[in-house]
Amino acid sequence: MESKITATGLELLIDQALYSEDVVFKCFYWYSGTFNVEIEQSLPSQIRVIVKPKKEQAFEPEILLEQISKDLIDFKLRDIVTKETTTIRELIIAKAFAYADFEQNPTTEVSDPVGFDPTLIQ
Amino acid sequence: MFELKEKQSRKFKDQQFYDAVPDSATYCLLPFRFHRINQDKEVLVNEVGDFLLVAKGTAARIINRVLSKNADETLYADLIAGFFITEHVIPPMLDVIAARYRTRKSFLDYFTALHIFVITLRCEHTCHYCQVSRVTENKHAFDMRRAHIDAGIDLMMHSPNPHVTMEFQGGEALLAFDNIVYAVERTKREAGRHNKQVSFVICTNLAPLTDDMVAYCKDNRILISTSIDGPDYVHNQNRHRPEKNSYEVAVQGIEKCKEALGIDRVSALLTTTTLSLKFPHEIVDEYFKLGFRNIFLRPISPYGFATHNHTKNKYNTDLFLNFYKEALNKIIDYNLKGEYFREDYATIILKKMLTPFPVGYVDLQSPAGMINSVIVFNYDGKVYASDEARMLAEMHDDTFMLGELCVHSYDEIFYGDKAVQLSEAWLNESLPGCSECAFQSYCGSDPVLNHATQGNMFGHRPTSVFCQKNMEIIRHLFQLMDSDRRIEKIFRTWTRN
Repeated sequence: MESKITATGLELLIDQALYSEDVVFKCFYWYSGTFNVEIEQSLPSQIRVIVKPKKEQAFEPEILLEQISKDLIDFKLRDIVTKETTTIRELIIAKAFAYADFEQNPTTEVSDPVGFDPTLIQ
Repeated sequence: MFELKEKQSRKFKDQQFYDAVPDSATYCLLPFRFHRINQDKEVLVNEVGDFLLVAKGTAARIINRVLSKNADETLYADLIAGFFITEHVIPPMLDVIAARYRTRKSFLDYFTALHIFVITLRCEHTCHYCQVSRVTENKHAFDMRRAHIDAGIDLMMHSPNPHVTMEFQGGEALLAFDNIVYAVERTKREAGRHNKQVSFVICTNLAPLTDDMVAYCKDNRILISTSIDGPDYVHNQNRHRPEKNSYEVAVQGIEKCKEALGIDRVSALLTTTTLSLKFPHEIVDEYFKLGFRNIFLRPISPYGFATHNHTKNKYNTDLFLNFYKEALNKIIDYNLKGEYFREDYATIILKKMLTPFPVGYVDLQSPAGMINSVIVFNYDGKVYASDEARMLAEMHDDTFMLGELCVHSYDEIFYGDKAVQLSEAWLNESLPGCSECAFQSYCGSDPVLNHATQGNMFGHRPTSVFCQKNMEIIRHLFQLMDSDRRIEKIFRTWTRN
């Protein structure tokens, strides 16, 4: 990951061979509370991320960069688990509810599609 | 049958085990999530909410396949036994995992249980944080009409749930006690016809309580839910009455109800205002002194009239979390001295962590509690998806209105277009930021809060007060359990009641 400290924030160039688009978006989602985050495709296999503090607040670019590096790794790990276990998760949920007793016709007001309303009978 | 073994015995294996040691890279991952709880530890949580507290970096070692079955024997065995990894592509215990998952979601089995009837909006208190109430004598404008009560009872009887709860709220519900009696009597007749069990609850500040009311509650096994905000100097400031005696009136009412109904038939709720934040220990002591052995540390709800007074009702979530932790420490101290005394919000989360069962708490569920577990019939006949939704309506926002009593049918209200629209935002499994969160199975989704505080039902987790509060409380509970085994034992006792 290449990084550049600018006057207003950080600019990062992320190799998509290392971190997929999913990982980048999920990671920087968590920075969108306190930072303005711009994500764009700079090259066919490279993503540019620009991170700027939302308010005029002091921030330490080196500390921020260190945190981003850690978070990218964490989100890549999460992404591996998510992708590797997609099928088994679907299987668990499908099996869990396979025998659910879905009530197709929930108990409801007496009614009749032709307009006959038995409740009006005296 | 198979023999259960203590962990220590895992160091002794027979020859076959060593002959068949697979390569460390051959295990398969099962769905799990992880989160750092402090500088040294992280927690792994599997798809059914079981957790393992492990050294930082363990998740990376598992996922990167550097875990060794021999060198990490105990951890490896824990991961296999806890459904975090498997040595088979299709885990042999898949049916067990599926059954556990279904159990976790079994609160969905019977659909709506809690039916809230806002029997009147009238109240003689002028609490500055109240979301809805009106001080007025105008019964016609702010009491629920009998036709609406009847229609609400009819809908409640149509719930597929064999055990429903009818909760009377206000305003001050006891000001419309004649309506409560009418509703209870009609419900008892209808319940017999529909073969339903009904629990009754009255939410009240206890100020209008009379001996006749207590006797009626006793005869009909009605539960009393009241409010105590702490010692008199906090309670009276929060809950204004012209006589400045809301604390004394509430305490007298609690004693009267306890004596007549039994100690387990009366509960109290705390609302945390800016003033309360200064008195975490005093508030806990007050509950203990009044004989309660539980307390629910609740932040203020950012709805309705409560939002009008920013000085008294709006505070940073960090301040609430500091208050919460201080109060929780005090509660734990009581337990360490041998007293049983629990915090209810922690208990809800701990039950999800330490037991396989769901908890019937509508504000911390996925799918959300709205409609699935709770419905609100407002005093004016409008039907809302949750209690918070009707508070929002007092801000002229009917986003979560599902229909009207005497106008719309059960199907139109509970399965209508609005309900379908809300369902898109009520699963934290599919919300951004929640989908890979380690605390997903302990948390929930709150589309009403998201809408009220962030402008849309899906919400934005990095700026969500709901997310900030729950993430930190859950992390804190893990840290407490990890720091002191005695605290873990105390927490386990809380989950058994």
